[in-house]
Amino acid sequence: MSESYIIEMRNITKRFPGIVANSDVTIRIKKGEIFAILGENGAGKSTLMSMLFGMIEPDSGEIFVRGNKVAITSPNEAVKLDIGMVHQHFKLIENYTVTENIILGIEPIKRLLGVFPVVDTKTTSKKILELSKKYGLEVDPSSKIENLKVYARQRVEILKMLYREAEILIFDEPTAVLTPQEIEYLLDIIRKLQEGGKTIILITHKLEEIKKVADRCAILNRGKLISVLDVASTSTNQMANLMVGRELSLEINKPEAHFGKTVLEVNNLTIRNSERFKVVNDVSFKVREGEIFAIAGVSGNGQVEVADAIAGLSEHVKGEIKFLGENISGIKVRKRNEKGISYIPEDRQQVGLILDFSLAENLVLKKYFKQPFCNGALIDRREFSSYAKRLIEEYDIRVAGGENALTRSMSGGNQQKAIIAREIDIDGSLMIFVQPTRGLDVGAIMSIREKIIEERNKGKAILLISLELDEVLSCADTIGVMYNGEMQKIAPAHEMTEGEVGEYMMGVKKNEKK
Amino acid sequence: METIIIDGLSFALPIMIIAVGGIYSERSGITNLALEGLLGFGAFSGGLFVALMSGYFAPASPTLIWLSFLIAMIGGAIYSMLHALLCIKFQANQVISGVVINILSVAITGFLTSQINTSVFGKPSDKFVLSVFQRITIPGLSKIPVIGAVFKDFYPFEVLIIVLIIICWYILYCTPFGMHLRACGDNPQAVDTAGINVNKVRFIAVLFSGALSGIGGMCFAYSISTNFSPAVYMGAGYLAISALIFGNWKIMPTFLACLIFGFARSGAYQVVKYMKLSSSFSDLAMTIPYILTLLLLVFFSKNNRAPRALGEIYDKGKR
Repeated sequence: MSESYIIEMRNITKRFPGIVANSDVTIRIKKGEIFAILGENGAGKSTLMSMLFGMIEPDSGEIFVRGNKVAITSPNEAVKLDIGMVHQHFKLIENYTVTENIILGIEPIKRLLGVFPVVDTKTTSKKILELSKKYGLEVDPSSKIENLKVYARQRVEILKMLYREAEILIFDEPTAVLTPQEIEYLLDIIRKLQEGGKTIILITHKLEEIKKVADRCAILNRGKLISVLDVASTSTNQMANLMVGRELSLEINKPEAHFGKTVLEVNNLTIRNSERFKVVNDVSFKVREGEIFAIAGVSGNGQVEVADAIAGLSEHVKGEIKFLGENISGIKVRKRNEKGISYIPEDRQQVGLILDFSLAENLVLKKYFKQPFCNGALIDRREFSSYAKRLIEEYDIRVAGGENALTRSMSGGNQQKAIIAREIDIDGSLMIFVQPTRGLDVGAIMSIREKIIEERNKGKAILLISLELDEVLSCADTIGVMYNGEMQKIAPAHEMTEGEVGEYMMGVKKNEKK
Repeated sequence: METIIIDGLSFALPIMIIAVGGIYSERSGITNLALEGLLGFGAFSGGLFVALMSGYFAPASPTLIWLSFLIAMIGGAIYSMLHALLCIKFQANQVISGVVINILSVAITGFLTSQINTSVFGKPSDKFVLSVFQRITIPGLSKIPVIGAVFKDFYPFEVLIIVLIIICWYILYCTPFGMHLRACGDNPQAVDTAGINVNKVRFIAVLFSGALSGIGGMCFAYSISTNFSPAVYMGAGYLAISALIFGNWKIMPTFLACLIFGFARSGAYQVVKYMKLSSSFSDLAMTIPYILTLLLLVFFSKNNRAPRALGEIYDKGKR
C-alpha cells in the first residue's frame, strides 16, 4: 500500500519549550498531486514541513520517502532525496547573480588553461534559461538578486529547486508576499510543475488558493491534524471552520453608525518623498467619532504616506493636520501618542515592534516612561510583567514562554495581535490601521476586523488603510479612494458599489469636482 | 620622486597583504579587528625562528629569510585560530574578540621575546635580530623615467606579495570556495540551506587572514628595523582595516587605497626631509596616512556597503 505514496510522515510529534508544535500528525502524499497544508498562523504547518526538509528533527515519528524509511537530518539529505523547499523568507545571496545563487553549493567547474579550476557560470546560465522557459519562470540569469522584485526572487528559489532536480517541491506560504496578479501567475506555474510530473506541497492559510490548485488538503489546528480532505468536494466554508476549529461566520456584525464630533481633520495635505517627488497631492478629509474612514487604493498611491504623516513619521509635509481642533502638524511623535493617536503600521516587524525585545517590553513601548512603569528615573519591570500578562489574556496573544518570550519567535498573527493590544490600550480617540490583516489567516483576520468595529462602536475615530477591497467594503462607514497621490472620491460606504470603488482605484473614473 | 615610489611601495604592499587577509575574514562575515595582533604574532614567530635557526644557516641566507616568512604565515594562522574559535565556536562578540587579541598579542610577544632572549640566548633584549633583506634592482627596466623606480631597490617580498594578491583574487572570485566565502558574508542561512558548512568556511577565512597578516608583519620586521621588536606594532593592521573599508571590501580598490596610504607617507617624509625640519616633524609627517584615512573615510564611506552579514553570529534557529 505504502508504495503508492511518495511521502509518508507517520505519527510525527515535535515539542518546543512550552508548546507542542506537532502532535501525532500523520500525512500521506501521492506522487504527482498538489497537496495543501492548511492551518492558522502557528498551527504547526511550517514546523511539519521543516522536518520533511531536514531543518529540524522530529521528537518522535517516522518519515518514509518512496516507501523507504529515512532520517532527514539536514537540508542536504533532503536535497539528496529530491526534496526542495521555497522558504517564506527567501534564502538568497543578495549581491550574487541569479545564476550564482542557483549553482551555490554545486558549482560546475571548468579548467582555465587546462589547470586552474574556475566556476563555470556561462553554460549554467543556458541551462537555467531552458528551465525557466519550460515552466514560465522568466528571469534574467545575469541580474543581481538585490535588483529583483519579490516575485522574481521567488522564481529564483523555484529555479534553484528545479536545477537540483527536485521532484517534491514544498512551498511555504508562497503567496503571502505577492500581489493578486502575481499570485495568479504563481498558481499557473505550480500547475505547470504538476504537469511536469512534480509533487507539490503547498503550505498556506488562503482558502481560495487551495480551492484553485490543490487536489487534497490536510488541515492542522494547534499542532493536531484535523482531517485530510478532497478539495474538489469540500466547500471553502467547511475548510475555514475546520481550520479555526469553531463555527466561523465570514459575515461581520456591524451595528449602525453614530457619528460624533470631528476628531481628525486633514486639509490640503501634500507630501514629498526623499526625491522631492509629490507622493500625496492636496488631500483633505475628516474622520468623526464612531466612524471608520477607510482609504482604498492600489498599493503605492500615497495612502501609507498619509497615515505616516498623521502619526508624525514623515518629513516634507505641507498642509494642516488637525486633531480635536488643534493643529498637530509640527509636533513630535511621542506628543501625538500622548494626545491619543494610536498607530498600527503596515510593516509590523520593522516599524511596529522591536523583534529582539521581549513581548512585555514591546507591549509597554509607548508607556514605559510613565507611571506606574517608571518611578522617577527607575523602571519597574514587575509592572511590565503584570501589565503584559493582562494584555496577553485580554487579546488572546498565543505565545510559548509568555510575556518574556522574544518577539522574534512569535508568529506573524500574534505579533500583530500584540501591536493591536498595545495600541488599543492607549485608549485615545483616533486609531490608524494600515493593512492590519496583511498576511494573516482567516481566523485572525476576522477577529481583527471585529476588534476594529468594536472600537468604532465605543466612539473612536478610525482611519483604516487597506489594499484589500473586501476589507474596506466590509468595515468602512465612509470610503475615500486614492489614486496617484490624490483623493479621487469620498462617499458614504453604502453609496458606493465594489465596481465603483475599483474604477476610482484604477483611475478610470475621476471625481467630478477635479 | 624615486624615493617616494620606492618607500611608498615597500610600505603599501605589506599593508595590502594584511588588508587582503582582512577582506577574506570580513567577506565571510567575521569582523576582524585583530589584524594588528595577527601581524605582530606572525612576525614574532618568524623572528623567533630566525633567532633559533640562524646558527644552522650562513649569514643573510636567503633560504632562512624565506623560511621565516613561511613560519610567520603559520604563526599568524595559528594565532588567528583564537579569533576563529571565539567568534565561531563560542559565538563571542567579534569586535571585543579582535581587540582582546590585539592587546594579548602585544603583551605576549613582548614577554616571550625578552624571556626567550634571557633564558635561551643568555642576553637580555626585547628584540630578535634578523638578517638584512637585500633590496634588488632590475637592470634595464629601472632606467625607465619615473616608472622605473618601481623596479629599483625593491624588497623581494614585494614580488611575493603581488603573486599572493593575484592568487587570493583568483581564489575569492573564481573558485567555488571563494563563492561560498563571499556568500557567507551576505546570507549565511542561504549558504547553509545550499548544503555548505558556514562555520567551516568562516574558520578557513579567518585562518587566511592570520596567515596573510603574518606575512605582512614579517615584511615590516625586515623593512623597518631588521629585527623583531614591539616596534612592529605601529598600526599597520588598523591602516589595513581602513584601507579595506575604503576599498569597499574589494581587492582592487583596496589595493588603490593602500597605494595612496603608502605614497602619502613616503611623500610626507620626503617633504619634511626636503625642508630640513627636525625629526619631531618627521613623526608628524608619519601621521599623514592616518589623517588621510580619516578624511577619506568621511568623504567616501557613504557609498560603501559592508558585507550584509558582517559581525552577525550565525545561528541556525533565527527566522
